[in-house]
Amino acid sequence: MDVVFNQLFAGLSMASILLIIALGLAIIYGTMGVINLAHGEFVMLGAYATWALQNFVGLGVVTALPLVFVAVAAVGWIIEKLMVQRLYHRPLDTILATWGIGIILQQAVRLSVGAESRFVKGPELLSGNTEIGALVMSNYRLFVIAFSIFVLVGSWMLMTRTEFGTKLRAVIQNRGISECYGIESKRIYSITFAYGAGLAGIAGALITPLFSTIPTMGTGLVVDAFLVVIVGGLGSLIGAASASVLIGEATALLSAVMNDTLGRIAVLAGIIILIRFRPRGLFPSDTRN
Amino acid sequence: MNSRFFYDLIALALFSAVIILGVPALMGYDGFELNTFARYLSLAIVSMALALSWGTAGLLNLGQAATFGMGSYVMAMHLKLRASDGLPDFMGWNNVEKLPAVWVPFESLSFTLLAGLLVPAAVGGLIAIFMFRARIAGVFVAVITLAFLVAFQLLVIEQQGLTGGQNGLTGLAPLTLPGWTVDTYSVSFYYLVAGCLTVALALGVYLSHSKFGLILRAIREDADRTRFFGYNVATYQTVIFCISAALAGWAGMLYALVLEFASPTYMGVSFSLAIVIWCAVGGRESVLAAAAGAIIVNVLEGRLSDVFVEGWHMLLGIVFVLVVMFMPRGIYGVIVDVVRRLNEARRGGRENAAEEALLPATIQTNRER
Repeated sequence: MDVVFNQLFAGLSMASILLIIALGLAIIYGTMGVINLAHGEFVMLGAYATWALQNFVGLGVVTALPLVFVAVAAVGWIIEKLMVQRLYHRPLDTILATWGIGIILQQAVRLSVGAESRFVKGPELLSGNTEIGALVMSNYRLFVIAFSIFVLVGSWMLMTRTEFGTKLRAVIQNRGISECYGIESKRIYSITFAYGAGLAGIAGALITPLFSTIPTMGTGLVVDAFLVVIVGGLGSLIGAASASVLIGEATALLSAVMNDTLGRIAVLAGIIILIRFRPRGLFPSDTRN
Repeated sequence: MNSRFFYDLIALALFSAVIILGVPALMGYDGFELNTFARYLSLAIVSMALALSWGTAGLLNLGQAATFGMGSYVMAMHLKLRASDGLPDFMGWNNVEKLPAVWVPFESLSFTLLAGLLVPAAVGGLIAIFMFRARIAGVFVAVITLAFLVAFQLLVIEQQGLTGGQNGLTGLAPLTLPGWTVDTYSVSFYYLVAGCLTVALALGVYLSHSKFGLILRAIREDADRTRFFGYNVATYQTVIFCISAALAGWAGMLYALVLEFASPTYMGVSFSLAIVIWCAVGGRESVLAAAAGAIIVNVLEGRLSDVFVEGWHMLLGIVFVLVVMFMPRGIYGVIVDVVRRLNEARRGGRENAAEEALLPATIQTNRER
């Protein structure tokens, strides 16, 4: 029984990481229909920014978060202005172009920082474990779970409770009419892309104590995040959240039953079958046609 | 025969002349240089295979590397058996005592050559039936094939006793065809690969100009309308997926021969997207352009990595982004545009709508919705 609880916690921890990575991707995909394969590299940039802030400025992972968010959002904003903006009418081409951007970012980091793995220290305050009976939970992972819920709620508030969110949803529903009402859809798109990139940066910062920070860390992450977004449904925040919990828990439990690799293969097979029968995801929202 | 077909036949003849006659002469019949070029040519086959499914039918297959990898493993399994008496060495290391049943038929050369085409085709066909019966299209095809690729690569790495795991299959014997032991550093081996590419391209050009190809293009433009005309869209999509997978398997077999090993990296996400890059740079609408794209990018990669040891990968990324942004139809699109401009200038005011319609560039192809 203890094994089950520990695996459930491991699954939840994985889900929280998936969620925080996929959230930015879901927002970008849902708003603009852009499949951003450079998202993994935004995560990687966030991780390296955290490493740099810790090494050269002496900030901790948590205190660095706002700065990392702003830095990666700025990178995203520039990329949107330079490139993505020209490709809105060619959604499949964005897959290719953002993959190219990913290569460039990856190489830029490899050339400037180096290919070797970088170490980032987790916060002292969160270093221990919380034990309930035989269930051992790392405090830092608990923090990540809490933080991912916070980011989810924050994004939801941003989308539904602010003027920006209202404008964004208007643009998603009908770009032309929104522009007639004086909403600058280009600006909305830029900000949204930057916000999504910033979220990826935060994800990168949060996972640094758990993953090894290397230039290629993003490639695997983006595939997972991409699958979460598709399973969750086009641009649906609640879909992304439930899909990450589903995929995280399924991976953890199946890994315990079989082994890590076979568990992952089984989950991928499940995802393929799910997309086949529900191509619009678990929570399809009827926006953007 | 319309003018498009005529142009393509000329281009095909030129292309084969260059790779069969031009390149060996240019390389001074040097076995080592030609071996490198044979590698590019085998990659050109997988790139043109992608052009068939992506450019013609509009199915972006991000899992092309999986079928390519199957071909390379099929070939490598045969050569590995030839290299070892009884049990291949890595099986011993993984405590496999008896040759697994799936390995046994690969003793036979003819079985291997058939399996290299049919296994990928069958797998591609199964995925295609699975997807296209449900009318999955657009980005979801990309997602499903990508997920399949990741799962398949994991499976290959996991089954160490069968596949050699992370190391792949190394220490292969040279291929022995009846009466010919293939030396991969010989000029005749180069001709073998160049011949394969020419045949594959001829098949591709024929397919894209046949009625079959026309219907595929109709499906790409508007699947629903094609369906209303009474065509079974899923069947057409499945068939082209199978053909594309078989060609990728063929390319994989040649690739394993050239490099003399098979590795799970052939089935990686990066490699699969690299195929997409080659195809896009050359021009996905034409199999010839896609093949040329693969050769050009790989030659550049070879040259650039000599000059800029560190930065070539970055240059490649920049070039690719620029191509996607400013040359969405690849090099092919640029050539077609130039030809059209020249034609317009030559004809001056005598615009003829019927004649116009026959010219390649006026056939609207790049509409993605």
